Amino acid sequence: MGIQQITNMCAHLQNASRARLGITSLPNTRYNLNLALALHRAGFINSITRAGPHPPSPSEFLTLEPEPVTTANASTRRLWVTLKYWNNEPVLRRIQAVSKSSRRVQADLEQMGRIARGFEAGMHKGLNLGECMFLSTDRGVLELREALDRKVGGLVLCRAS
Amino acid sequence: MSVAHPVARSLFSRRLACPSLPGAVAAAAVAPLTASPLCRSFHASPQLETRRKAGKRAPKADAPKKQPKLPKLKLGKNPTQQRIGEYTKSRFPQYTPEELAELRNIYTPEQIESVMAGEAAINPEDLTLQARLRKDPYRFNYLDDFSTIQPIIDKRPKRQPPPDPMARFMNLDEFTRDLIEWADKFKVGEKTGTLKKLEDFAPEALRGKPEPQWPTKARTEVHEKYMAYLQEEAAKSKNGDVDGTGEDNWGPTDADVLSYILQRSSMTDNGLISNSDMAPGLANKVPGVEGMYKNPVDPEDGGLDADGTFQNLKLQTGMTVKQILDLRTKVISLRSVSNQTRMGKIRGTSASVIAGNGDGWIGIGHAYSVEPMDAHQKALLKAIANMKPILRYEDRTVYGNLECKISGTVVRLFNRPPGFGLRVPHNMYFIAHAAGLQDLAARIPRSRSPLNTAKAAVQALQTQRSPEEIAMGRGKKLIDVRRVYYGGQV
Repeated sequence: MGIQQITNMCAHLQNASRARLGITSLPNTRYNLNLALALHRAGFINSITRAGPHPPSPSEFLTLEPEPVTTANASTRRLWVTLKYWNNEPVLRRIQAVSKSSRRVQADLEQMGRIARGFEAGMHKGLNLGECMFLSTDRGVLELREALDRKVGGLVLCRAS
Repeated sequence: MSVAHPVARSLFSRRLACPSLPGAVAAAAVAPLTASPLCRSFHASPQLETRRKAGKRAPKADAPKKQPKLPKLKLGKNPTQQRIGEYTKSRFPQYTPEELAELRNIYTPEQIESVMAGEAAINPEDLTLQARLRKDPYRFNYLDDFSTIQPIIDKRPKRQPPPDPMARFMNLDEFTRDLIEWADKFKVGEKTGTLKKLEDFAPEALRGKPEPQWPTKARTEVHEKYMAYLQEEAAKSKNGDVDGTGEDNWGPTDADVLSYILQRSSMTDNGLISNSDMAPGLANKVPGVEGMYKNPVDPEDGGLDADGTFQNLKLQTGMTVKQILDLRTKVISLRSVSNQTRMGKIRGTSASVIAGNGDGWIGIGHAYSVEPMDAHQKALLKAIANMKPILRYEDRTVYGNLECKISGTVVRLFNRPPGFGLRVPHNMYFIAHAAGLQDLAARIPRSRSPLNTAKAAVQALQTQRSPEEIAMGRGKKLIDVRRVYYGGQV
């Protein structure tokens, strides 16, 4: 179920980015939040805020103290993501899910090394210029180079560039 | 004058110089040209007769034998009349009675008559002093003294002098003078001052006196004479016979006026007829339009752009004409296209051209025109105007792998290490060359249409994103380790 959320999130972020939206929202799941944080670390998105069905006002986006999630409001919580643009172009131009719920794709350390250097490994193509790969490891959702630093492989979630 | 003309005397006379040979006259008369040594042979192999070996076939009884050589005669530098006479007699002798009899056997009396007329037409001394038979290798293979023009063979002679290069169109004064000059050729019936007066008909005695003092009878007579004279003059004028010569010279006829309009030159060349039918070109400075249609020629171009083709481009691009001409350009496609209208197909040419400076600039231009040359030129100018800088890693290859899709054509470009070379399909080689790339690989997995391939490749090159730009977008710091730590040596 979680993987399905991730593929939906990837498609939605790419659509929103291409539509030049400033803010968009994602379902509030742990998996989504972890991937969004990884994207934020990689610099693809500006900010992530958990809020209700309406986005917080732009002035309080970064300072908003989010409400604690309770059983009463859990179903209405959403992740509000501000997208990034540079030189009139979206920073997140392309984000493509790799694993899907019917086929989960793993990458081991050896493959990851090759991929990071731009070579093919198994079913994975090498990373191109400016491309990132996000994996779900037992240390959380990490970018490929972070995972290599920690020497952990895992489930390949998506590729972003 | 060809050999059929009587100047062929020398031929006849040479052949007839040995009357002892019975067949000589016939052979010479029948085939003077074919057997003539004057014919220049263009074959390397000798003639058939000379190739035959004498021993194999018995010579015919009546075959012409070899002529005995004429004794060598020399006129000298200043020959006397006697010497000339001797020489003429020996070289160009008159027909002997035997020869004449022989000729009469062959020719009809009319032909003999014309031969004799031809012989009589030329003084043998002229042949001695003037006629020369050329022996040089460049002689004509026929006899002709070029005294008459044969319209089929010869070019039309240019009898008129060449046109006056300084001639220009007449101005108003010159034109008026020319018109008066032309009109003066025609005697128009202008009678004022030329007619006789009343006094001219008066008797001598009355000439000095005023008319009222004349006797009445004499006055009546004079008046009658004068009226008769006037009537006669008026009748002459009606007939157009002005000067009494009996010819109609009542000014220019319609034909004269037409020839004036159509044929008289309006240039200051005195109405000379030229050998050429070509009208003279317009003057350099036609008043009113002077300088309006002249291409501005920039002295900085050094004469490279006399047509003014690149003047706009110079302003657009800031390049000099020399730089523009040094660009690497290539026609990608030049194809015939047609527009179907209700009037039918309108054919034209579409051209696409690549232009690059070999140092990181590349552009593509497409243009249409009816003429292929114009289409090419327009596309070239557009390609140069469209040139944009592209990103090159270390000035030799592209950053990362690129992909671009135009219609059904997908072009993939791959960066490669130094020394790899341009291992790309031929229709993309020139694009890489013009852009100044040295290491590149490419794949065209789908349609290989030349035009779309070029478009896609140029678009892929022009829309690259630099790593610095990507890093700035993501808020990262980026260092090219290869360049910073190893100076591009590894």
